[in-house]
Parts: sequence; C-alpha cells; structure tokens
Amino acid sequence: METKTKTRWSEHNKEIADDHFFYLRSCIRQNFNPAAEKIFLSILQKNLGKDIYDDPRHTTCTGIGYHADIVPFETLQTVIARQFSLMAEKGYKNCAVSCITSFGCYNEVLATWKQFPDEMAKAGENLRKATGREFEMPENLSHSCDIIYKFRKEIARQARYRLVHRETGEPLKIVDHIGCHYAKIFPEKSVGGSEYSRVLTGMIEAWGGESVDYPERRHCCGFGFRHYLIKNNRSYSISNSRKKFVSMEPYRPDAILTNCPGCNMFMDRWQYTLAQIEGKTYGGGTNGIPVLSHEELAGLVLGYDPWKDLGLQMHQVDVEPLLQKIGIVYDPAQKFAGVNGKYINEPLFTGCFNPHN
Amino acid sequence: MNRFLPDVLIHTTEMMKNKHVAVIGGGIAGMEAASVLARQGLKVTLVEKQKATGGKLNDWHHLFPDFSSPGVVVENLDKKTVRAGVNVVCHTEISHIERNNGRFELSDQRDVKIFADAVIVASGFHVFDATLKEEYGYGLFSNVITSVDFERRMKKHGKLLTLQGTEPRRVAIIHCVGSRDAKVGNIYCSKVCCITGIKQAIEINKMLPECEVFCFYMDLRLYGSKFDSLYLEAQKRHKIQFIRGRLSEAAERPDKSLQLKAEDTLQGRPLRMNVDLVILLVGMEPALSNSSLMRNNQMKPDENGFFRSVNMHEARNVGTQEGIFMAGTAICPMAVNETLENARSAALEVMNFLRTDKNHGGF
Amino acid sequence: MHSKLNSLLKSDVRLEEGLTACMNCGICTAICPAAEYFEYDPRSIAVTVQSGNEEEIATLLESDTIWYCGQCMSCKTRCPRNNCPGLIISVLRKVSQETGAFVQSRMGRQQYLIVKNIGMNILNYGYCVHPTILMPENHPEQGPVWKWVYENMGEVYASVGANLNGDGPGAMRKISGADLGELHRIFKESGGLKFYETIEHFSKIKALELGFVNENGEADMEKYTQHLLQEI
Repeated sequence: METKTKTRWSEHNKEIADDHFFYLRSCIRQNFNPAAEKIFLSILQKNLGKDIYDDPRHTTCTGIGYHADIVPFETLQTVIARQFSLMAEKGYKNCAVSCITSFGCYNEVLATWKQFPDEMAKAGENLRKATGREFEMPENLSHSCDIIYKFRKEIARQARYRLVHRETGEPLKIVDHIGCHYAKIFPEKSVGGSEYSRVLTGMIEAWGGESVDYPERRHCCGFGFRHYLIKNNRSYSISNSRKKFVSMEPYRPDAILTNCPGCNMFMDRWQYTLAQIEGKTYGGGTNGIPVLSHEELAGLVLGYDPWKDLGLQMHQVDVEPLLQKIGIVYDPAQKFAGVNGKYINEPLFTGCFNPHN
Repeated sequence: MNRFLPDVLIHTTEMMKNKHVAVIGGGIAGMEAASVLARQGLKVTLVEKQKATGGKLNDWHHLFPDFSSPGVVVENLDKKTVRAGVNVVCHTEISHIERNNGRFELSDQRDVKIFADAVIVASGFHVFDATLKEEYGYGLFSNVITSVDFERRMKKHGKLLTLQGTEPRRVAIIHCVGSRDAKVGNIYCSKVCCITGIKQAIEINKMLPECEVFCFYMDLRLYGSKFDSLYLEAQKRHKIQFIRGRLSEAAERPDKSLQLKAEDTLQGRPLRMNVDLVILLVGMEPALSNSSLMRNNQMKPDENGFFRSVNMHEARNVGTQEGIFMAGTAICPMAVNETLENARSAALEVMNFLRTDKNHGGF
Repeated sequence: MHSKLNSLLKSDVRLEEGLTACMNCGICTAICPAAEYFEYDPRSIAVTVQSGNEEEIATLLESDTIWYCGQCMSCKTRCPRNNCPGLIISVLRKVSQETGAFVQSRMGRQQYLIVKNIGMNILNYGYCVHPTILMPENHPEQGPVWKWVYENMGEVYASVGANLNGDGPGAMRKISGADLGELHRIFKESGGLKFYETIEHFSKIKALELGFVNENGEADMEKYTQHLLQEI
C-alpha cells in the first residue's frame, strides 16, 4: 500500500470538457439576469469558438422545489434523466450547467446512481413509462463558471479591459462569494474545493484584479429555499447576507463576484433592503457594492455593452462606479432603453437610497 | 567465562556476538533499542537520515506531564549508545530492506549497503500537515500555529508572541487536528495530543498569566496515570477553559486576530470567538518512508498505514516479515516513556529471534 | 407504530448517505446558518435519528425544528465522519409530509404555500420561478429596479436579448406543450403529483380542524392560505 493520498483541496483540479456542450439553463438566472446566460453562449461561441447547444426542450431541474422539499427525490432524478436524454439525443456528452442549485442536484443524482444502481434503474423506468425516452449519463458535467475558469487566460488575451483602476493603476479589490452547492456537497466536482475555491479568484487574478479574503467568505447568502420563498421567513435570508456584508465592509471591495444565480440576485437586492431598514450601506457609498456574476464580469472585460449585451440595468445596485474605475466606455442614456433605444420609463431609483427623499 | 551463567547462556552469548542487527531510525526508539542490544553483546548499526540522533525530540521544549527536558533524555540515550558501542551512521536514509539468503540487505539511494541478521524499524512518525485542514488557515494566517511550532518557538525564543509582535490575550488550543477525521483520511486517535494541549495551555498561563486559554476538545483522552491531575491543575490553578466542541473554521479578521466557529456542545449552542492566536494540536501519521521500507519484503501496513504487527497483543514488535521488528511510533502513536519501553521490548524480541534462528546455528 | 418511522426513514437511500455515525463533535452546528438564528442544532438531530427512538423521532417530525434548515449543506463539508445532517433533514421532511406530521407545526404547514407557488410554477411554466408571478407587492425586497422590470416586462426582456414567452430557445422561453406534457407525466410516474396531493390532503384536514370551512362544509383553502401567510 502506498502512503495515504491526501488532498489539499485548493490545489484540486476537476476535469472540465474542452468543447461541445449541452447547455442547461437556470430558472433564477433567466428571471433576474437573463443576459448573463446569453453572454455566456456568445463568449463560448464567438470569443472561444466553441460549440454549445441551447435546447428549448429542457425544463427546470426542479431543484428549488427539491430543496424546498415539495419535489420527491425520485421525481428530481427522473427530470434530470430527461435532461440527459435530450442531451444524448442531440449527440452531446458534456453538460454546461448555469445554476448552482442544479449543479448540486445533478451531482447528487449522479453520485446516488453510482452508489445505488437501483435508484438509476428506477429513474430510467419512470422516464421510459412517462416519455418513452432512454437516457445516457454525461461524460462531463461542468458549471458555467468552471468553463469560464478553464478559458480565463484566453479571455484575458482577448480582453479589452483589465480589472485595474484606470487612474491609480492599482488592481481592483474583488471579494468572491461561491454558491454553497458548488463545492460544499461535492468538493471533488469543483475547482479548488470548498474552503478556498480558485474558480472565481482564478478569473479575478487572470484579468488583473486582486482577490480579497474576508472572514465570512464561506457563509451562505441565506437563500435557504423555503426561507426566502415564504415571506414571513425572509429574515433568515437577509440576516445571513447582512453577516457577509458586515464581514467584507472593512476591506472596501470594489465589487462582489458570484457564480450562483441566486446569490447574485440576493447579494444585490439585500443591500438595497438593508439600506431601507438600517439607513446604511456596507460600502460603495449610497449605491452599495456592485455585484456581478462570472459571465457578467467576463463580458465586461471582453468589452460587451453593459446594457444591451449584459443587461446590467437589471441590477438594483448600480454597476457604473465599477465601470468608471475600469474605464469602460458606455452610454448612460441607453441604460433603461427598450428595444431599439425606445424610451420605456425608468425605475423610481437605483442603488440603495431614493435620492429624492 | 562467567561462572555464574548456565552453560546454555554462555554458549548463546558467544554465538550472539557474531550477529549483526541494523536499526533504522536514530530517534529515541532506535537509540534505546540499539543500546540495549549492544549491551547484550550484539553488533549493532544505528542508521539515521539526519546529521544527528535524537529525532523529533530535538525540537521539543518540555515533556508532559512533568515539564522535564527532552534534551536530557536525548543526551542520556546518546551516552548509552556510545558506551554500548553502537555503530552510528548518520546522513543515511534507508529506503529498501531485502532478504537475501537468510540475511537482510539494507540500502539507501546512494547504494550504501548494510547487511544484517535482523532489522528493527524505528522510523517514527510524520507530523500531520496542518495545511490540509484548509478551514483552519494554517499556512495562510500567521497567527495560526501548530503544537510543534509552539515547542520550537518556546525552545528558541522562550516566549510566545503574535505575528504583530504582541503578547496574545486570548489563545485557542484545538484538539484532534488530523486525528479522528475521515476528511483527512485519519480515523484514529493520536493519543498524545490531549495531554500536550493541557501542558501547553499551562505553559502559556505560567508565561502570560493575563492570557485566557481555551481548549476545544471532543473527548479528553487522558490515559496516563498523571494526566488527569494535570487536567485538574489546568482548570484549578491555571483557569484554562475547556470547551467541548470541534473547531469548524478559523478566519482571519482585519486586525489579524482569528474568528472561530465551534459549537459548545454541552450548551447545545453555536459559539463565536475571536482570539489572538490558535494552536493546532497536530496528530501523528505513518512516516513517509513506510511504503518504500515495505516494498521489497513481506512487511505490511495496518489499517492506518503504520507497520502491522503479527499480533497486536502478544507480539507488537514483530513485523509480518520474519526477522524484521518495529519499535516506537512506527507501530502507532505513543508517548516518550511508552516509546522507550516499547523499544526495550523490541530488543528482547530480536534476541529471542536470533537465539532460535535455525539458519544461523541457533537452537 | 413501533419501528414504523425508523423503517420509513431508512427506506430512503439518502439516509444512508447522510448518516454513517455521529460522534457529537458539533462541527455542523458550528457552521450552520440556521443554528445562528433559530433554536436549532443539527448535531442533536443527527443524534436523535441515530438513536432510533420512535417517540423522539415522532416529536421531531411534528416540530418546527426540522423546517429551520436552509439546505445550504455547509455541514457536509466539515463533518469528520462524512455525514450530512442537511440530507438527514431532507429525509425527515419527506417522512413528515408523507405521514401528515408536518401540519402540526407552523413551519411545516408552510409546505402548502410552497406547493401552491413553486410546485405549481413547475407544472404550469416548466420553471421554478417565472417573472409574471413575481409581483412587486409580494416582493418589496426586490426593489424599484425589479418593479420597473415587472411593469415593462416585454420590453426589458427583449432589450437584453431574452426570449420571454417566445418560441424556440433562449432565456425565459415558453416551454412547449409537448415538453410540459412530458414533465407532467414524469411527475405522475415518479410520485411528484402524489406528493403534492398528499401535502394538500393533510393541509385540508388541518384547515377543517382550524375551522376554515366553506358553505359546502369543505375546507376553505383560500382562508387557510391567508391564515398561513399571517401565521407567525
């Protein structure tokens, strides 16, 4: 016997497919940051020359229902088996998953099928009876952040901007928040494990920024599934996010980088809500700290338009302070424009406080 | 001729003078076993990879439970090995043991060869690499140190300071780091860490009476006859606080102090605490050389990767390859006094083996 | 009754995954976001399930306790025995709903609201969440930008290249009837629909018990829903 193999997770690399992906979209990202998914496809297809297929037939994985405990495990397995069936039908073997909850669910189902083959047989039978479909297991299952991480250096080569303050030349300080289900359940399915994952810091550093550690870095954003879904329970969600903001405040970050669609939305919205409750922000003046996902940040450095390409106007906390620090050229007048520049009204206010009050 | 010895033993002693035993590892187990055998008249070669003997005890400041000096132990053992006529070979790391024509051939990377009739493996243990417990921040945060670092600092500087050069006002001592933890592949208890933690806690209190010291433990495994009285003393005289809960994470705060998350399991509530310094009680692991030492013979590891004994009760020093014996922490984690006793019993097993070895004219 | 709950728990493979053996170290509670805010201790839940004590498990299934977990699974990362209390919770919640125990606790009763919201979204839209039902008055925390998105939904989604309710691929596309049909049949075949029905069934009994009755003598689920939304 060899000496025991020990894993230093921060050095752990997962296998990430190189090309030919079957895209699996996220309910939350499509709702709140739909352009992030569009730009992910553009980056892969146009900037990196990769093949990624967007199949209109796939549905929710039911992950939110599963973790809110109204969807049985057997149903989750069968819905996931159907997604894999669609993938195989189109001749793909690699999944690119947009959602972190889904990513956790796919990995949980795959791990279960490996350990309990009867469960896989049952899911196969359910799928056959319900749809007449057969399914195949994917050869590779990566989250979209894994794929951006894999090609981060190529993105850096093509980048129009760097994460550097245009006036001081200093790297911008960015804190990361990794979605819990990216690595906490299956660290072996992540880049760098759950304690000091490299998946987002790798991007920050490759694109010129400085990754900043903070004590509550690994703490959950507080979504908590049933906690956010029920209005009376939302204090759990906001309290957990607040804990993170308090913890990152002394480091004065220029932005928060996320890989999870839910975290991306919550970290944005809760800054506004906390400001309304407490009358203060945890950085970024009255605006708050801009929150970006990996697709959005990649799109920014590659020079995509913040509004029509990246849809950053859908964030409550304004991203403009970050754009200005980087020196990104944008048209403020186009921020809230509709299709073809049409005027469609504007939000009452953006950022954390109503300037008219 | 000694007229007080029976004929049989006189014959044996004469015969044994021609036997050669190689001892791998010049730590305290190897030194003790080698000197006992040499005093019995055997030819003994003690092979040490470092420049001097003494092993890990050379870095240690004080021993539990009596705060005595490990330097004295090593010094006495050195004298014993010299006086007994042990041939000490340093700077040599044995990587292979092979049996050829009933004799053992030991070799290192540079083709040094040693031939022996019996071998004692006293290659010791490997200190758990605390950077593997990433959630504790060792190697990332300078105010997180290990119990080994503590001993080295105390020995070298005689004082304990934070990275910022200040005297710590609060110190947390973390039990079971790298032990009883399936996450790092070590499910066994390293046995000596609990009492080491108590000893170090008392030393901190003696040095810095104003400093609060907290021990985070899961079970206090105080097996030694004098260990519980030290625990009592730690609580009563030194006001050390014992919290039953395993540390979940340590994170560095802007002022370089550390934020700890644990559960006080006796209260059933999560516990948050900021401390100036964290000491990780790192466990004992099988030595890194174990797998190469087992490669060309019938030696086998036990379920934890230490050397397997043919019988853990009656023949703990006897390896699964006839003629190869083990002494000390090559077998399992043990304290200094146990290691020395264990080494003497290994020497006895070697004597019995050589006496009865049919191939070499024994009877 | 004896050993019934234990066998129900053990019939779920996730219990085997979630609980090998607990040594009571508290590393899970230490890191648990729910334990910071509620009287909640995942360690003691693991220990109760490990004990196999039917009465204690029955009490747990009827309590608010099992509903505090936020399913972040932070506990999984740290456990030195590779247990996952979050997964034990999933199994307890399933059994609580299957046996009707969930209606005995305030937090448990909320499952009815989730079925009516997320549960129906899945079947009606093929999404867990859909912008058309994210009404700003129910989501004040979503802020003025979301209100703007909601009120100008068609234009906003189109302007950022999404395909809201459209045919073909893209973000927020309409899931076709054929695909929704497959999803429905999967729910039927794999027990998803039956699970929804079970939650509704026990919720109706609870509604009647609480006196929410309409003129036909049936459970008034509208009033029950309002009750749940107000219940603190």
